[in-house]
Amino acid sequence: MIEKIKKYKFIIIAGLLIFTTPIYNPNAFFEALNITKGFFLEMLQIMPAIMIISALINQWVPREVIIKHFGDGSGIKGKIYSFIIGSFSAGPIYAAFPVTHSLLKKGASVANTVIIISSWAVIKIVMFMVESSFLGISFALTRYLLTIPAILVMSFFVSKIVSREEILDETEENYNPVLEKLPGMNCGACGSKNCEAFANDVQKGDKVLTDCVYINES
Amino acid sequence: MTTILLIFGAGGFLAWSFKKDVTKTKDTLKNALVMMKEMLIEIVGIMAIIGWVLAIIPESYIRNLLGSANEFVSTLWGALIGTVTIIPAFIAFPLSKSLYTSGANLTAIAAFITTLTMVGFATFPIEKKYFKKKFSIVRNITAFFMAIIIAILMGVIL
Repeated sequence: MIEKIKKYKFIIIAGLLIFTTPIYNPNAFFEALNITKGFFLEMLQIMPAIMIISALINQWVPREVIIKHFGDGSGIKGKIYSFIIGSFSAGPIYAAFPVTHSLLKKGASVANTVIIISSWAVIKIVMFMVESSFLGISFALTRYLLTIPAILVMSFFVSKIVSREEILDETEENYNPVLEKLPGMNCGACGSKNCEAFANDVQKGDKVLTDCVYINES
Repeated sequence: MTTILLIFGAGGFLAWSFKKDVTKTKDTLKNALVMMKEMLIEIVGIMAIIGWVLAIIPESYIRNLLGSANEFVSTLWGALIGTVTIIPAFIAFPLSKSLYTSGANLTAIAAFITTLTMVGFATFPIEKKYFKKKFSIVRNITAFFMAIIIAILMGVIL
């Protein structure tokens, strides 16, 4: 029950906030629904494609290709590729997370991951046109020209502080080779919460493979 | 436009994948579905909260904050408001323009637009899910300061 509440916490909070609004401000209620609807439609257009691409990258793109073009040794070329991928992608910043995470897992460097996320969010050709039409070309151009070096500084800074391992350790343990040997029944007889947790415990040396009742049987 | 390209790109990639290996592709799609579901649960609530905040706060209030006589204070406000909200571009730019013509500072607007896109307080829970706490905190804080630097430089240049 508590886990369920935790999982749906944002929806619950949003529901409470929005559906109490008519009591004191009916206009804001409809406005809130309208804005939310706009967000939601934008997301429905983009997210299925994003998720499919991320999952396909996980499945098909060979590690070596990503390491070569986006890895630590990819140099200036890797940064340029990262800027290009980011700025040609569609969708808001949260759409960037699944894709960049897949790339990072396949060997892209932390710095290039930051470049892709940031340019995904900020550097957009369509947005540039909208921005210059509303705020003037000199405003938009200056902001873009300042943003590119800023992104490079950010990527350098973040990659100095955060290591790949600090981002990936849990996720990489998901691909724990031990896990493949397990039946995936999540029975919990071994004392771990599920097969995944058990696989991690085996990896750490806290448990041995034969603690699994299914493996012990065979 | 880019959205259409994206959808076609995903479709093409998917078709190629199906041709290569049907069962693997089916598994991949299942993964995508699970990922999508997880994300939906999180994002729908966040969006609704932001929609509510945007509806409840009158525009004149934001205008006052960004148009404050003290340029530094208004820039800070611009950066902060941009940080905590996500506003789609088609609302953000017209809003910025009306803010500017009604007296908001240029640096404040620049800070607002830059943090709006680059810093994601609202999307932090999602970022954390994929990249863990440390990366998300470091990235967002650096992006915030970079946005302020960009805004200040713009004030100097323009």
